[in-house]
Amino acid sequence: MAGVLAVLAVAASMQVLASDKVLNVVWSGGTAGEAERKVFVPEFEKKTGAKVEMKASELALLAQLESMVKVGDTHWDVAELAGGKLEIAAEKGLLEPLDYSLIDPENKLPDMARSKYGVVWGTYSTVLVQNTSKNPKGAVMKSWKDFWNVKAFPGPRSLRAWPQENLEYALLADDVPKADIYKVLATKEGVERALKKLGELKPYIPVWWENGAQSVQLLADGEVFYSTTFNGRVSKLVSDGIPAQIVWNGGALHLAYMGIPKGSKNVALAHEYIKLRVMRPDLGRDYLKYMPYPSFAPGLLDGLPKETIDSLPASPENSELQFVSNTQFWKDNIDRIQERWNEWMLE
Amino acid sequence: MNPWKLKESLLLLPALLLLCAFFLVPNLDVVRSSVFDPDFTTRNLERVLTAPVYFRVFLNTIQISLVVALLGAVIGYPVAYFINAQPRHIQFRLLLLVLIPLWMSILIRSYSWMMLLGRDGVVNALLIQLSVIESPLRLLYTSGAVYVAMLQILLPVQIIASYSAMTEIDMDLIRAARIAGARPSEALRRVFLPLSMDGTITGVVIVFMLSMGFFITPALIGGRRNLMLGNLVMQHVQQLNWGLAAAIAVFMLAATLAVVILIKWLGRGLTRLMV
Repeated sequence: MAGVLAVLAVAASMQVLASDKVLNVVWSGGTAGEAERKVFVPEFEKKTGAKVEMKASELALLAQLESMVKVGDTHWDVAELAGGKLEIAAEKGLLEPLDYSLIDPENKLPDMARSKYGVVWGTYSTVLVQNTSKNPKGAVMKSWKDFWNVKAFPGPRSLRAWPQENLEYALLADDVPKADIYKVLATKEGVERALKKLGELKPYIPVWWENGAQSVQLLADGEVFYSTTFNGRVSKLVSDGIPAQIVWNGGALHLAYMGIPKGSKNVALAHEYIKLRVMRPDLGRDYLKYMPYPSFAPGLLDGLPKETIDSLPASPENSELQFVSNTQFWKDNIDRIQERWNEWMLE
Repeated sequence: MNPWKLKESLLLLPALLLLCAFFLVPNLDVVRSSVFDPDFTTRNLERVLTAPVYFRVFLNTIQISLVVALLGAVIGYPVAYFINAQPRHIQFRLLLLVLIPLWMSILIRSYSWMMLLGRDGVVNALLIQLSVIESPLRLLYTSGAVYVAMLQILLPVQIIASYSAMTEIDMDLIRAARIAGARPSEALRRVFLPLSMDGTITGVVIVFMLSMGFFITPALIGGRRNLMLGNLVMQHVQQLNWGLAAAIAVFMLAATLAVVILIKWLGRGLTRLMV
C-alpha cells in the first residue's frame, strides 16, 4: 500500500514538473505552422526538455489576448504577431518587453529586426501572382500597371477584401513613386485617388479574398487568373500543377514579429524559444525548405544556392523592387480608411 | 401566494441564474462598453448613426435576414406538413434527414456551396454538359449565392419549428370542421393553418435572429456588396476597437428586437385573418 502511494506521489510530482515546462506557442496554422513544428519545436524540446504546445492563431487573436490579460490569466507564452498586430498589442499593453541581452547578447540582429515588444522572425510579401497559362501568348505581367491593364491581360482578378496594401498598389499603378506612397495616403485626397484607381478594376474583380488559403484556392480553381497572395503560398500552387508566377515588382514587404504575451508564466523559457527561433542560421535555413519566410538570423543566407535566395522576399534584388508595408501608418489610420473602404465596397 | 406555487417557481431559479450570468450580464456589458470607452462618451453611438456606411449595411443585413426568414417559412412549412402527414416511424427518419445537415459546421456547409456554385463547380459543369449554357455563369460571389446558402443552412430550424407546432394539433378538430361542412382545403386553411401558425412564426423569428448575426457565409460566398453587420463588428474587434463594435451590436440588438416584435404582430394579424 505504502509502495503504491509512493509511486503515485512520485508520478504526481513528475506531472507537476512536466506541466511546469510546457511552452504555449500561438502561431499561424497551415503550412507555416507545420514548418514551425518540424524545424524549431523538436530542437527546442531536445535542448530544454520542455514541451511545446502549439495552437493555431485565429482571426480574433488580439481579442483573445486582450481578454486573457484583462482577466489576469495568460496561458500563452509566445505569440506570432504579423500584419500590424504587434503595434496594436504593444499600444494596448498586452506584451512583455523583450530582454535582448537574452535573445541577442552579441547584438548581431539588424536594428530593423529589434523592437521593444517584438522581434522579427521572418519577412514575407504580399505579391501579385499570375497564372501564366491564362496570359495572352507571350505576355507576362511585370507590374501593377499590367494588373490594371485589362485589355492586354483580360480575365478575372482578385484582391484582398481590406484596404491595406491595395491602396498602395493602386497608387503605384497611378505613377506615385514608392517613397511617396504613405505621404499621399496620409491625406484624404490621397485615399480618394487610390480608391478611384481601384475603381477602374472593380468590374473585373468578382471576388475579394478573405484569407490566404482562399486566395490560392481561387487561382487553383480558375476562379480568377490574377491575384495577390502571400509569397509563401505560391510554391504550393506550383507543386499542384498551376503555372503560377510571382511579380516581385511593387510587392508589399512585411516584417513578421513574435512577442511574449503579458503575464506569461514562462517568460525566461519564452526568451529561450525566441532566441532559438530568430538567431540560429542552421535552423533558419532548414525552415526555408518549407517556407520562403527568412529571418534575420546572422549568416542565414551563407551558402544558400542563388535560386533559393531569389525566391525570398528579402533577397537584395527582390527587396529593391518592393515597398515596405508601413504597419504604423495603418494602425494610426485604419479606422478612418476602413470606413471609407467599406462604403466604397458597397458603391 | 400559495406556498406550493412559490416552491414551484423556485424550480425556475437555476435557469434564471444561468441566463443572468451568461446572457444578461454579458449583454449589459456590451451596452456598457458602447458608452464607456473608457470614460462616458456617446462618440461611438454617434459615429454609427452619422457615418452612412453603417446605415447601408444595417438595411442590407435586415433585408437579407427578412428574405431568408420568409423564404424559409414558405419552403419549410410544406416540408413540415409533409413529414407530419407520414406514419410515425417514417416521420422519425425524415426528421433525421432534416437534422443531419444542422449538425454540420456552418463553415463546412459554406465551403460546400463554393464547390457547387464555383466557376468550374458542379452546377456550371452540369449546365455546360447539358448544353444549357456555353460559358460558366457567375453564381458564386453573388447575393443569390448568399441567399441560397443561408437558406439551406437555416431551413432545418424552420422545419423543426413548424413540425413541432403541427404535432400538437388535435386532428379531431379537422374532422369536426369537415363534419360541419368544410371542404378539405377550407379545413386546412381555416383550422390547421391558424393552429400551426404560432410555431411557424416562432421559426421565422429564430431564423431571422440567427441570420442577423451571420458573417462567415456572406464573407466567403458573397460579393463585395454583401457586407453584413457581423462583418463590421468583426473588423472592429480585430482592431481591438471594442467601443465601436459594441455600439454596432447595440443597434443590431435594438433593430432585431423591433423586427421580431413586428413579425410577431403581423403573424398574429395574419392568423386572425385566416379564421
